[in-house]
Amino acid sequence: MKVLVVDDQKANQIMLTGLLESFGHEVVCANNGREALDAFEQVQPQLVLLDVMMPEMDGFETAPRLKAMSGNIHLPIIFLTALDSQETLLECLKVGGDDFLSIPFEPVILQAKVNAHARVRELSYSLVQKNRTLAWHSARMEREQNVVQHMLENALAENQLQQPFVKSYLRPTSSFNGDVCLGRVGPFGNYYLFLGDFTGHGLAPATGALPVAQAFFSMAERGLSVGDMVTEFNSRLYKVLPDDMFCAALVVEMSANGDRISCWSGGVPDALLLDTQGQLEHRIKPQHMALGILPRAQFNSQLEHYFVTPGQRLVMFSDGVVEACNHQGEMIGEERFADWVTEMLDSECSEAQFSAIVERIDSFTGDTPLNDDLSLLCLKCQATGLEPQAKPQNEYNLPFELRVVLTEHDIRNRDPMQRMVDSLAKLDALQPHKTSLYLLFAESFNNLLEHSVLDMQSELKQQESFERYYEERQSRIEQLQGLEIYFDIDYHPTSQQLSFTLSSNTEHRFDGKHAGNSANESEDTFGRGINLITQVADEVEWRDGGSLLYVRYSLSRPLA
Amino acid sequence: MSVTREFSADQKQLIISIKGKFDFSLVQEFRQAYSHIGDSEPLVIIDLRETEYLDSSALGMLLNMRKSLGSTVKGIHLINARPEVKRILDISRFEKMFTIA
Repeated sequence: MKVLVVDDQKANQIMLTGLLESFGHEVVCANNGREALDAFEQVQPQLVLLDVMMPEMDGFETAPRLKAMSGNIHLPIIFLTALDSQETLLECLKVGGDDFLSIPFEPVILQAKVNAHARVRELSYSLVQKNRTLAWHSARMEREQNVVQHMLENALAENQLQQPFVKSYLRPTSSFNGDVCLGRVGPFGNYYLFLGDFTGHGLAPATGALPVAQAFFSMAERGLSVGDMVTEFNSRLYKVLPDDMFCAALVVEMSANGDRISCWSGGVPDALLLDTQGQLEHRIKPQHMALGILPRAQFNSQLEHYFVTPGQRLVMFSDGVVEACNHQGEMIGEERFADWVTEMLDSECSEAQFSAIVERIDSFTGDTPLNDDLSLLCLKCQATGLEPQAKPQNEYNLPFELRVVLTEHDIRNRDPMQRMVDSLAKLDALQPHKTSLYLLFAESFNNLLEHSVLDMQSELKQQESFERYYEERQSRIEQLQGLEIYFDIDYHPTSQQLSFTLSSNTEHRFDGKHAGNSANESEDTFGRGINLITQVADEVEWRDGGSLLYVRYSLSRPLA
Repeated sequence: MSVTREFSADQKQLIISIKGKFDFSLVQEFRQAYSHIGDSEPLVIIDLRETEYLDSSALGMLLNMRKSLGSTVKGIHLINARPEVKRILDISRFEKMFTIA
């Protein structure tokens, strides 16, 4: 240990140096306070023995300056004093002295005091080091939390919770919310809502929200059923969550015209379905265990479906709402909350009414700290008014002509039309038309195959013989030999037209009568094919005396 | 499975979903989906949200179902048809025989 001895008396300096060095310390001497201050930076002493009476600068003035120079790290100062007066000692303490040593002294006293203060100094030093480490970790933690926060915000950027028919209120207990509320428009103008409550709150549950949010958005975009959604959420969470964590959830789909609600509820409080007068019509009770608990094989995705009328509302909330306590420790409770809801919401379900409920919760809980995240959602049943969303298209496509020659091998046990359309639909410009293109291809192809090649009678497709017709069709296909069917497809991106001709190497011809051509409104189960082609396509023509069918379809037509 | 059948929790609705291609290749699966519905007179819901392809044989199968179920069900709804599918149902005037929602 490095000791600075500050004394104007050479004799004392020599005596102290001798003793301290014999105890194993390193000693530097200064003749007065001024010299001590000058030496401090260079010597970096760990302990100071300081005389009181000195020329230039005395000990009382020097002590606080040395302390200040040492900063955060404790610098023990032991005053050397021949004076034993009470005032002097008090003054020593006042200016920051830690101990005294009256000269003369027993060497063992000096040894004891130096050792004791060395330990204090060591402790202080390690504390400062630890604080530094702690500060570093804390800064790093904060930086990482910011990164996760940023990731979550990005992942939730696709959230479409802001809708005229949705009111939402979320109050997390920490900066990361263990509750997750997601909304998303589906491809039919339908709308999906997800209310999830992960066990606990903070970083861990917020991280669990990531895979669920991603699955929710992509499945909603594809218009999948709530049953398929929850099955996927459950599988993902079952895989990633530790055993003691799960996610209570309510997933709801409202149809585009707002007349139908489908939901899956697992582990959340009863959702309240109100009638148009604002009275409680039905409690949607949780039918299932929360997500992330059961393996796929045991998971139950059965839904509940309700027909609703405009003006009905569905009120959903996490248990943080009904378990919120007032200062006496009394919870709001499901009954009381249901009363509030029916009392305060009418069919209008306005912002003001919704805010009134939130205020009621706030005034009940007062300043009692929340112990769980709190989420409240209100879905008003009405036509969503959301247009099916068209995907952005790559406008630039190359024109092409394509000849597909099908033989009996391609027809047996396969559906060549699906394969053709699947391939064509890989082009952005054709993808939105795949259903119509399939219909045109399949009907034309089946017409040619069944009536010109196989010589089938479509009247066979009566109620009882519908299946027999297809059995017969299949058995005739098995007997085919040397058949070639030609598809010549022509795509013009500039005029947005796709046309095709269909013909075969057989002698038979397309025959409108033979193929059946019943009126639109017929309830017959057969004979719609040609009719569908002529209405879905923009131009249909039998050419070459009926041996070739020409079909033109305009890709610029609106789909709906 | 291209055809799935599920009763709602209250047994009042039978939901049949058809995924991918709806044509005569599903004729047996589809018929099985609406068989043995019991005497609870459920509402039959055909969910077409994942039906990408259909042709006239599918329309025939729907009409067959309607004839076969008759008054043993409360009604038949065709729901969640994509715009293209909806157009084909409209062309066939199916709204006269089914509830299209």
